[in-house]
Amino acid sequence: MGYSLKKELNLKENKKEVGEKYSHLTSPLLPYLLVLPAVMVIVLLYLYPFLASFWKSFIGKDGILSLSNYQKTLNLYRMDIIFTFGVTVLSTLIATCLSILLSVYLKLSKSWLAKQIGILYRLPIFLPYVVVAQMMRSFLAPHGILNLILAKSGLIDIENPLQFFNWVGLTFGFVWKEAPFMVLIILAGFQMIDDSYIEAAKSVGAKLPQIITKILVPMNKSNILVAATLVFCSLVGCFSFPYMLIGGKTPGTITIDIAHRVNYFGDYGVANALGVFSYLMVSLLAVYYIRSMMKKGLYE
Amino acid sequence: MPKNWIIKTIEIIIFIIFLFFLLVPLLSTIIWSIALRWYWPNTFPQEIGLDYWLQALGMIKSLTLGAVNVIPAFLLSLGIAIIVVLLTMSIAIPAGYALAKLRIPKFLKGLILILFLLPRAFPQQPVFINLMLVFNKIGLTGTVGGVILVHLVVSIVYAVWITTSTFSSIPPELEEAARSVGASRIRSFLKITLPLSAPGLIASAVFVFLTSMDEFTGTFFIGIPFVTTLPMTLYSASGSNIQFASVIAILLLVPSILFMIIIQKFLKAEYLGGMGG
Repeated sequence: MGYSLKKELNLKENKKEVGEKYSHLTSPLLPYLLVLPAVMVIVLLYLYPFLASFWKSFIGKDGILSLSNYQKTLNLYRMDIIFTFGVTVLSTLIATCLSILLSVYLKLSKSWLAKQIGILYRLPIFLPYVVVAQMMRSFLAPHGILNLILAKSGLIDIENPLQFFNWVGLTFGFVWKEAPFMVLIILAGFQMIDDSYIEAAKSVGAKLPQIITKILVPMNKSNILVAATLVFCSLVGCFSFPYMLIGGKTPGTITIDIAHRVNYFGDYGVANALGVFSYLMVSLLAVYYIRSMMKKGLYE
Repeated sequence: MPKNWIIKTIEIIIFIIFLFFLLVPLLSTIIWSIALRWYWPNTFPQEIGLDYWLQALGMIKSLTLGAVNVIPAFLLSLGIAIIVVLLTMSIAIPAGYALAKLRIPKFLKGLILILFLLPRAFPQQPVFINLMLVFNKIGLTGTVGGVILVHLVVSIVYAVWITTSTFSSIPPELEEAARSVGASRIRSFLKITLPLSAPGLIASAVFVFLTSMDEFTGTFFIGIPFVTTLPMTLYSASGSNIQFASVIAILLLVPSILFMIIIQKFLKAEYLGGMGG
């Protein structure tokens, strides 16, 4: 765009007043022309199908506006919707507690071990969920490494390995992948808190639990909430990991049901109604996330 | 002094538990990729070797159930990722520059901001399903072009965030100084802003590259069964052959680890959450 402007200016060689007139005309438009392609991509390839999922969910098999898809969804998938919500809440809570504890440890300890953990914990952040899924499949399988180690150390009966391909394995994998990401955000917040606060609290006799609950967590509340919100929202929508770990089992997650509805029945109405349920599930937190990002001015 | 010993011991125990749960899933995948025979409940595989690696890499012919030659899938993923990076960055760099440096009314900026936050906040799978319906009509389902478009929409959000914050971090005085001595806007951009923001832009490009390499959900609905990228081969091997699946998982993991080492220096924490959905 800038180049064509230049070319055009060259064509009208030495007619400076024309060039000035031209730049006067284009400069207010320039920002819009530059963001237009990106906005078009999001509007056409994201916003349109996003909005379509709402109205398609109200169109029944016969093409008439109705609530039949929602009726069918609640009849068939009520348990799965509850299951999705339960696993997501549980995973988010565990990940939040674990990541706060780990961040506190990394903030307060200056030992060699803490330094090593401070590097290693990042590993899961960069792994895609497909890889996490495969790792968990071999780690948590009935005849997998975890059961093997538990059996060899005499904690479980070798003939009766524990079953993890259910909410337990799902929660474990979610926490494994998301807690490190939360540490990244929460620890960054902790590092902003001056050590003198902690020293002052220690000098008046505050113990570790008090330092955590009275100083570190309250001062870092917004980071913790945003991290937990992001994790909750991405877990509700996570497809690959549940599909590979517990696909075809009941209860399953909403995302598994959507894939079944589309692939086996070509039933987009119910699939979209399920999608709307997952939107509703994240809606409150999604609005909170968007508002807090707007307030922060993400781009600044 | 005894109290110190207790704390040290607790620290070491926690460290061991931490290492166990962090690394054993990874270790299990690595062992499975070289296990030729491993029957429950043996502690170690009875027979190890690189047979599955060689078969997966197409170096020996394979008749094993669930066998895949991953080279074509890898090349396809690589090709798609390179095109997605070029496409995404050429759209995201101008947008990021405009959002960071140029005058846009506040309410419009807010609107654009919301637009780019929505995909991060709401589940994307229902969106891909409706995109699939659109692509069905125009013949893009099951084509490489369709997969490139879906990767584009997944990565553009992050690319615009990162490029915008990169450009924002460059002090405006530098470009203004260049323009005050007569450089055009485009020249001052090319000579001043672009070189200064190169690390951030490269980090953004690497991020987009990995997002495309790892993308699963969009490709699952738009690409299958004709466009089998590396994550798709992992998915199909996962149900039938644990050794092949482990080999592919490690192949996908290596770029991610390399990325981790490079990225440390250039990227802010907030952007990393969307990795590998």
